[in-house]
Amino acid sequence: MSTTVTFGQEIANLLQEAGGTPVSACMQCGTCSGTCPVGDFMDVRPQRLIHMIDAGLKDKVMATRAFWYCASCYQCTVRCPRGIDIAELMYGLKRYTIWKNQYPADLIGPAFSETFIKTIMRAGRSYEPVLATSYFFTLGLKEMLSEAQNATMLMLKGRLPVLPARIKRLENFKRMIKRIIPIGD
Amino acid sequence: MVNIKGNEEPRIGVYVCHCGHNIAATVDVEAVSKYAAALPKVVVSREYKYMCSDPGQELIQKDIKEFNLNRIIVASCSPLLHEHTFRTATEAGGLNPFFFHMVNIREHNSWVHTNRAAATEKAKALVHAAVRRVPAHRALETKRVPIHPDVLVVGGGIAGIHAALTMANAGKKVYLVEREPSIGGHMAKFDKTFPTLDCAACILTPKMSQVGNHPNITLWTYSEVAKVDGYVGNYTIQVKRKARYINEDLCTGCQECISHCVFKEPKFPDEFNEKLGKRRPVYIPFAQATPQVVLIDPEVCLNFKRGAKNPDGSPVVGDKCKKTCVEACGDKQAIDFKQTDKVETIQVGTVIVATGFKTFDAKRVPYFGYGKYPNVYTSLEVERLVNASGPTGGEVILRDGKTPKTIAIAHCIGSRDENTNRHCSRVCCMYSLKLAHLLKEHTDAEIYNFYIDMRTPGKAFEEFYQSVATEGVHFVRGKIADVYPEAGNTGKLIVQAEDTLLGRVRKLPVDMVVLSVGLEPQADAQDVRRMFNMSCGSEGFFLERHPKLAPVSTFTDGVFIAGACQAPKDIPDTVAQAGAAAAEAMALIDKGHVEQEPNTAYIIEEECSGCKSCVPLCPYTAISFDEAKKKAVINEALCKGCGTCVASCPSGSIKQNLFEDEEIFAEIEGVLAQV
Repeated sequence: MSTTVTFGQEIANLLQEAGGTPVSACMQCGTCSGTCPVGDFMDVRPQRLIHMIDAGLKDKVMATRAFWYCASCYQCTVRCPRGIDIAELMYGLKRYTIWKNQYPADLIGPAFSETFIKTIMRAGRSYEPVLATSYFFTLGLKEMLSEAQNATMLMLKGRLPVLPARIKRLENFKRMIKRIIPIGD
Repeated sequence: MVNIKGNEEPRIGVYVCHCGHNIAATVDVEAVSKYAAALPKVVVSREYKYMCSDPGQELIQKDIKEFNLNRIIVASCSPLLHEHTFRTATEAGGLNPFFFHMVNIREHNSWVHTNRAAATEKAKALVHAAVRRVPAHRALETKRVPIHPDVLVVGGGIAGIHAALTMANAGKKVYLVEREPSIGGHMAKFDKTFPTLDCAACILTPKMSQVGNHPNITLWTYSEVAKVDGYVGNYTIQVKRKARYINEDLCTGCQECISHCVFKEPKFPDEFNEKLGKRRPVYIPFAQATPQVVLIDPEVCLNFKRGAKNPDGSPVVGDKCKKTCVEACGDKQAIDFKQTDKVETIQVGTVIVATGFKTFDAKRVPYFGYGKYPNVYTSLEVERLVNASGPTGGEVILRDGKTPKTIAIAHCIGSRDENTNRHCSRVCCMYSLKLAHLLKEHTDAEIYNFYIDMRTPGKAFEEFYQSVATEGVHFVRGKIADVYPEAGNTGKLIVQAEDTLLGRVRKLPVDMVVLSVGLEPQADAQDVRRMFNMSCGSEGFFLERHPKLAPVSTFTDGVFIAGACQAPKDIPDTVAQAGAAAAEAMALIDKGHVEQEPNTAYIIEEECSGCKSCVPLCPYTAISFDEAKKKAVINEALCKGCGTCVASCPSGSIKQNLFEDEEIFAEIEGVLAQV
């Protein structure tokens, strides 16, 4: 038996791991693409992305930004006639590109996700002022100012914490997270 | 016939079959044969490429004579396939056929295992079990039971009509039971039929009237099978004939009552027209209805108390109406408000179940907007809209009164979908093409077919697809993912779908959406299944005995299936299947008797304590209790050999032919011999 795992199999394994139907079951009906609320922003919509995975176009798949636009509304997953968990596939592809460290350099998604996990691991809760720094400096001057203004207003209204919150029994929580995400120590 | 008693020293012949590569690829057939040869009482053991072939069978016959064999074992495929073959060969060799025993080393072994060594060991163990078992075999006799020549056909759609006519023309007496007030089924609702565009009514109604007038057919419409008793050749069937409040023998079909009804205008949703039209409380479903007998709907007729029910569930006659219908009927006196449901009991030998299908309820998938947006239609509704006898006289007028200029046809609604039905409904591609053609003809609208895969594999289907495409009907490859109203109150609907070939999302404003709904089993298919003791596939359609070789038989002898109750299918296939079912039923009837496997249970009367525990357990009601002798009695004709009573008997006084204790224990010892 061959030991080389094709790209399609790798992705299929990712989904299988999540308990889902493999993408090879896809019949290219286009329901996912037709139903996607952010489809207009995607360079490649899910149905074509799935076909690219099946065709083994690894480089092209890794180069798209489509899955970083996924809003996780799960409409595609609910409607897929072949029972493929497409939203989960989008998450799978995000994780895959982060592990392989292959994603377009200007994307804020990977850095944002990383900061989010770090913040969570440190305090057990998200802390927006730190989270915002993951993308804040990619913004133009005008957006930066308006973001800063928004943040100040939110802080004044008490909608944004000034100091980071910390949960009780943080060690237990960390152990739990480590069971889910293989992040090491 | 020699050796019929079987009380002499057993001399066993073992034959191990290769079945080409089917068995030989996974089981070392030679080793199994050699192993068997060394077992006690085995006189001869051979392996052969195809035991079921003529030379294979002749080998058995020759060996019986040459080696004076009196027990035969064949290790090959499933008894379902070849037990009969080898029993016949054993009989031809001069032995009682029940001295033969079959070992399944294909379905139970080579097909389900990959480890050759282990599979070979298993085959040896199975053969050893048989070698231990056969000495206990006794000579048995197959019983013959006569067959009642009459036939029951359940369902009066095109399948039931064709099956009934075929048999009636051959001189059989047929009872045709239909649930609706008229026969005709779904086909009667269609306008044209694909791919030839024959007018459905023109080809169906002559057959309907033949059924109505045939001396050999007893037609009971507005009736349902209520109870089924008995067994192949001798079924006792109860048919409930629902009250239609009209005496069928007196009604001439003049329909004067309808025009004289106190309701001046038709007011109630008309089921035959998919509720797009209206009817009166007294009505006839459609012009060519067979029988030409009206009926009264007690739910809306003013002469009944609205909503009130008698203790037996029948409606209460209020007698408050002027009864202008009764006046109009005059001397015929066909109207009878006091009519009640009747139960008729009939005797038949065989049954053909042709109960058809129902269309998928499009409301189950809310994002297609059916039931929410008035201009979303199901395909069956459109059949009525384009039909000259339909609610609009064949003009395509939408619920908002407009004629559509752009129409989207959405394929695969409720088919090929894990969330609804997994199966392809097989007819929708073709009927969608037909509706596209008819709608184009009627309205000259722009028509867009949204499909996943076009499936046109029948005779002249692809040609039809091509001709519809050249008429200017558009095809978009992509399933409709959303239907919503266009912004700005234009009255149009947007259908949104990914055009997978263009790689673009299409948001198309249309006036009308046609949902090509799939076919599903009838809502009460499970009740019908239980009544006739049939099986169902995973989708709920009735299961045929063998998908290739017994496509109209069921696992219940004497019960056959035809048409869309077995699986979605078009009219040509349905008619072909109905003819096949009729032929199978007649083959059984004309033989005059059925042979029954002697694997029946029997009671050792001296040992029966009369506890009656077996009586209610028998699923075939084959056991009764003899009050005089205080013993249980098994009706051999009814016994199917399931063994339930044998296992339940506390005193061990019920035994079963072919499954005697000695046989089973010997078999177990054989399987475990090497352990």
